[in-house]
Amino acid sequence: MEEFKKKIAEKCAEMGISEYEIYYEIGESASVKVFQQEVNQFTSSVEGGVCFRCLMNGRMGYASTESLDPALAPALVERAVDNASVLECDDPVLLGEGGQTYAPLERQLYDLPDTQSLIAGALALQKAVYAADSGVVDGTTSQCLREKSEIGIWNSKGLDLRYVNQLAGYIVAAVVSDGAEKANDAQIRLGQLDTIDVPALAAKAAGEAREKLGGQGVATGAYPVVFSPKAMAELLNTFSGVFSAEAAQKGLSALTGKEGQTIGASLLTIMDDPFHPDNPMPMPFDSEGSPTSRKAVVEGGVLKTLLHNLKTARKAGITTTGNAAKAGYKASIGVRPFTMYIAAGDSTVDAVLRQANQGIYIDALHGTHAGTDTVSGDFSIQSTGYLIENGEKTNRIKGFTVAGNFFEVLKNITAVADDVQLPMALGKTAFGSPTVLVDGLSIAGE
Amino acid sequence: MITKEVCCRVLGRAMASGGDFAELFAERSAGHTIHMIDRKVDAANDAITAGAAVRVYKGLRSVMATTVDTSEAGLLRCAQQAADALGQSDAPIDIVLKERIFGDIHPVRIVPSSVSNGEKVEILKDAYFAAMDYHEAVRQVSASLGDTDRQILIANTEGLYTTDRQIRTRIALSAVAQIGSESQTGTFNPGSRMGLEMFETVDPKSVGIRAAKQAVTMAGAGYCPAGVMPVAIAGGFGGVIFHEACAHSLEATFVAYGRSQFAGKLGQQIANPKVTAIDDGTIPNGWGSVNIDDEGHPSQRNVLIEKGILKSYMIDRMGGRRLGMTPTGNSRRQSYAYTPTSRMTNTFIAPGEDADEDIIGSIDYGLYAKEMGGGSVNTVTGEFNFAVDEGYIIRNGKICEPVRGACLVGEGRKILMDIDMVGKGLEMGQGMCGSSSGAIPTSVGQPLIRVSSITVGGR
Repeated sequence: MEEFKKKIAEKCAEMGISEYEIYYEIGESASVKVFQQEVNQFTSSVEGGVCFRCLMNGRMGYASTESLDPALAPALVERAVDNASVLECDDPVLLGEGGQTYAPLERQLYDLPDTQSLIAGALALQKAVYAADSGVVDGTTSQCLREKSEIGIWNSKGLDLRYVNQLAGYIVAAVVSDGAEKANDAQIRLGQLDTIDVPALAAKAAGEAREKLGGQGVATGAYPVVFSPKAMAELLNTFSGVFSAEAAQKGLSALTGKEGQTIGASLLTIMDDPFHPDNPMPMPFDSEGSPTSRKAVVEGGVLKTLLHNLKTARKAGITTTGNAAKAGYKASIGVRPFTMYIAAGDSTVDAVLRQANQGIYIDALHGTHAGTDTVSGDFSIQSTGYLIENGEKTNRIKGFTVAGNFFEVLKNITAVADDVQLPMALGKTAFGSPTVLVDGLSIAGE
Repeated sequence: MITKEVCCRVLGRAMASGGDFAELFAERSAGHTIHMIDRKVDAANDAITAGAAVRVYKGLRSVMATTVDTSEAGLLRCAQQAADALGQSDAPIDIVLKERIFGDIHPVRIVPSSVSNGEKVEILKDAYFAAMDYHEAVRQVSASLGDTDRQILIANTEGLYTTDRQIRTRIALSAVAQIGSESQTGTFNPGSRMGLEMFETVDPKSVGIRAAKQAVTMAGAGYCPAGVMPVAIAGGFGGVIFHEACAHSLEATFVAYGRSQFAGKLGQQIANPKVTAIDDGTIPNGWGSVNIDDEGHPSQRNVLIEKGILKSYMIDRMGGRRLGMTPTGNSRRQSYAYTPTSRMTNTFIAPGEDADEDIIGSIDYGLYAKEMGGGSVNTVTGEFNFAVDEGYIIRNGKICEPVRGACLVGEGRKILMDIDMVGKGLEMGQGMCGSSSGAIPTSVGQPLIRVSSITVGGR
């Protein structure tokens, strides 16, 4: 690495480039998968690479490689310069400054499990799923994994950051049959392996799968809809891009210019917290090396801030919120939340169901990458759940869709429960929500 | 390029703990993307993906280790890691590699890396400004031109030593139109397994216009009604219905592991007799085509369903072992870092005998789904969904006003039976398909079809 940096610096000096940066990510992971009570797959990966970017005539060119061979460094610089030469965009381009202060992370690092522990863990989990329900059948897999990743940023303005993230955990996919029909469910639990209740996790997956067996259609119409934490977190995830200042500045978000205005119900508060205890990979700095911070994005229905990186903040005349992000080391700098979640309300889940009275409970949304338009906020999404009759969840329903508009949903939230969950967090970005009641959504069924 | 001799030593090391099969997969892929928004080029990025994976099988167990260090020492370490994970044993083996050249049926005339950034920008601008200038309602356009040059080497203990080079080009346009307070997005993303000569047959301007036209049409459209109705699904990307409703469930990665509703159904009628469906990785310059798959099997044309009867699954090496069947040239991986598995290539419903006007004319009240977005499926239950990006109401056998915001949902086994009319004109559409072995380029396709009854998710 040091030799690589040296070659980059030499080449930049030779080409008269004074502002440049290296961003690297190196990840090591191992995973053991069990099928039919036997280990059927073991994977051990080393992945990663380096992204070089530099300022040439006021524009930022990027080039990436997976090889840290110092001999290839000069070519990397040349490619970035070549890429910079075609850019026309006059947006400000900024590199992060050295000497910033970062919040200390209160996290407990633990020893990652070795391969034997992964094997033992995955086998134990598989055994527990089959023990949890006599209807568990083939197709049920369990997995035990560990991951370690290092991110570093080094630039010509004195920034020199390095951070190691790690996680371990279990993934279980249960298939349950009642003889006529099959249903499935998947669950993730992360943390130190011996602190995770394996039988409980197995029972959860098998139980959720069994719950999904059967089910009836539902009459097409408009209903009050209660979203489970998982379903609402998924909806928030799907539309989280609307809170990006980059999207807003390009006219790709309906929230353009809405800071300080009411965009949602007074019950609604949306947080973004890089240090949330349930986020498996907390980050002290963002992809530009700016400090990250906990903040309310929406508070009491009022849009407090969009999410910014250095460029969007400069354009808006404010300081960055520390939300610069890259979709992998190769990508250009964009904007992304860390742990975005709807904050807890003061209702119980039962109270929320009672308030809905006659309606639909949605426990999961499917295929949200399709049927959603983040510019308009429109969505039409395959769903599963239950009828709500007289304030209680009753019959299982399936084969229907929920349609509406995300921005209308924010306004039409009429109850928020106190059960915030981050259901499928796996990586640096996570989404969460409590149980939420939304009035007047369209259900397409029979 | 890694020599045969190095491959032999690496495979020998991989087999050191008693595996019965080992494979070395090495890759060097170069990708380049230019992006425009706000009428300007705002990003140009290129990236190299290079590394190797060693896989070892022992019966139904599979082990994979990957590395970014493709020196002999790095590969040997990687092979040792894979061998260690399998257990201990000493079984000396002889490995003799024979080079095989499968040939390239996808001619590339203009290799993207030989073209300057400036020329690529010109192509992109043609498309970009055609979209921007299409209509006054268009208020933002984003566009990208991307190309990849993927070079792979595969050696295995069955004696295979071979290489392939896969060049692909794709342009992606996304236009936003606003009419009154309503904003809608239109997209069009054609791609091809060829170089920049793609734009001799695909006019960049027409790509921009098609995206913009869709955005403008949809911005002026009302919401799609909700309920169960007959739907006519247009050719091209409409083939996403077969991709989601059926084809994923015919991949060995689900069939062999108890996660497909079509397991054990070979030879049985699973679809309407009007339906013949094919996965064909040998279509010259087809977006999803490969000369060889990522396990080195030559690509094939596989008839999946013939007149409603299930004929074949799509099978990778390990899936083949589990099912006791021969691999079908469908094993694919996004990169060396993913374990390859059975995936689609170019998958389509074959042309039938119904006239388009008869299909539309047969519907008293229903939906004409002209342009489709992505979708997904749960292969265990067969429940699938996909988006309708551009739809129209059919009334009394006539295509009427446009409607927006629809998706279609159903259950695979039922919907396959309900495809009761199939048109004559096959068209293909290009997409990226995501599954356990990553995101890979695949084509979908079909002629105009009728689904007699399906749930339309509108409002």
